Amino acid sequence: MFRNLFRDLFSAPEKLKMRSNVEERRFSAASSPIHDPGFSPRDHICCSGIFLVLLVLTAASPFSAQAQQPSRASVTADLPAGPMQAKATTACLECHEARIILQQRLSKAAWTKEVDKMTKWGAVVDPTDRDALIEYLSTNFSPDKPAYAPPRTSGGKTGSGR
Amino acid sequence: MNSRRSFLKQISGAAFAAAAAPSILAWALPQGQSVEFPGEDGMILRSFRFVDLESPVEYFNTWLTPVPHFFVRNHMHEPSELDAHDWRLSLGGEVDKPLTLSLADLSKIETHSVVNTLECAGNGRSLHRHQVPGIQWGKGAVGTARFSGPRLGDVLQRAGVKPTGKHVMFRGLDEVPGKVPPFIRSIPIEKALDADTLIATHMNGFPLTKHHGFPARALVPGWIGAASCKWLTEIKVLEAEFVGNFMSPAYRLPNQPVQPGDAVKPEDTHPVTALNVKSVIAGPADGSSLSAGKVSVHGAAWAGEADIARVEISTDAGATWNPAKLRQEQAHYAWRLWTYDWKPGKSGDYTILSRATDSQGRTQPSAPVWNPSGYLYNAVDQVKIHVS
Repeated sequence: MFRNLFRDLFSAPEKLKMRSNVEERRFSAASSPIHDPGFSPRDHICCSGIFLVLLVLTAASPFSAQAQQPSRASVTADLPAGPMQAKATTACLECHEARIILQQRLSKAAWTKEVDKMTKWGAVVDPTDRDALIEYLSTNFSPDKPAYAPPRTSGGKTGSGR
Repeated sequence: MNSRRSFLKQISGAAFAAAAAPSILAWALPQGQSVEFPGEDGMILRSFRFVDLESPVEYFNTWLTPVPHFFVRNHMHEPSELDAHDWRLSLGGEVDKPLTLSLADLSKIETHSVVNTLECAGNGRSLHRHQVPGIQWGKGAVGTARFSGPRLGDVLQRAGVKPTGKHVMFRGLDEVPGKVPPFIRSIPIEKALDADTLIATHMNGFPLTKHHGFPARALVPGWIGAASCKWLTEIKVLEAEFVGNFMSPAYRLPNQPVQPGDAVKPEDTHPVTALNVKSVIAGPADGSSLSAGKVSVHGAAWAGEADIARVEISTDAGATWNPAKLRQEQAHYAWRLWTYDWKPGKSGDYTILSRATDSQGRTQPSAPVWNPSGYLYNAVDQVKIHVS
């Protein structure tokens, strides 16, 4: 998990040798007619270790001077509780974050195809866990569940220096 | 190359839209959770890893989309290290003289600019009934920018394409997790040699940002976003279409209409290439309550390689239609902004529809055309509002 977190953080724009790109962001955002569309990130710090690491690394970034308002939601989401939560986390979230799963609303047949495709693509799923994993996903993310409500990004100010 | 001044001039139309709907902007965005994301402003976070960001439709009020408001679609991890000095682009395959180009080499080739509406093939996927797997985009995996860089055809000409060269393959520097097939696709040589197909290094007059493919990406105008490979590192001229997951089974449409939920055999499909005709209502926002008075219905319409001929608006759920006014800014592959000034006759609930028709005579269908991957959703757009 931490390896991935580090990879994400280091793949953030500030890692790049792209000073002119930072300038573009600043300019483009400042040119926007609705650059602050009603967002009010709240001072609400999640006390997870992940977030602390994020804060430390953010503080070390060139944007630290502007990074004053921590986000309310964690950067990545978790899978729902259940008997297969831990194994699904290991199998799926090694390569991508939970929101890619949380937003799906699929039948059991469709989840079966997804699990088998992902296993072929490298997801580590013990054959004895396959059916339980499919059951977990198709129970939690079936077509009758309400639509997933994604968060918004709040980073225009930090990233653009406005 | 654009100056900042010209860029500002190009997006000045934004002032019109912001002024037209001041009451909308104040409440358009739900007060949900937010996630810190440097440089990306108020975007809908579909996924943090891989990065997939959607523009809220209320952002579609400028002809050119500011980069922090431009949707981001990644299939893989973004490259962890990108160094403009060390970056090289190789060009090989069915050519007389393979090339390796640096960013400095590219900058010495004549630059061409194309204002292009870039749309993810899966934009609108979540709106299909009988939902299908994939990023559940709403309406905002689309944006318009001025892309600049050498023509791909000029670079291919330097290498000398052999008569056997029929397709041009792009490979990016995406970091592939596990055993996932690499994101490699190809386009036909005719499209590759089109004067508007670019190796883009700039977006809206400034170097590409990392999320948009720094230091260079393909720009295949009028086609689905997947054709415009980011973080370009290899171009290869092939004798035939590239064989790989992202050419087949991915990014293909059924040859014949199918019912929602139907399975389709690979041999009964064809590649998704150019975008179709589509319009989106940017305001008023769906579910909003407005006070009586003049309402500016506004949005954007685009048609891939075709031009928008007209946009029609219905404020009575499709019983009657009236023409919207197309704004002046236009370019071959770019969307047209449109407006329709409307004064509701009385208070109540209204369903507002928008319907675009293009220069090829294509009109948005009233109902979605379903396909197993949820590509190219383009049904007539609608918002429901209340006027008090």
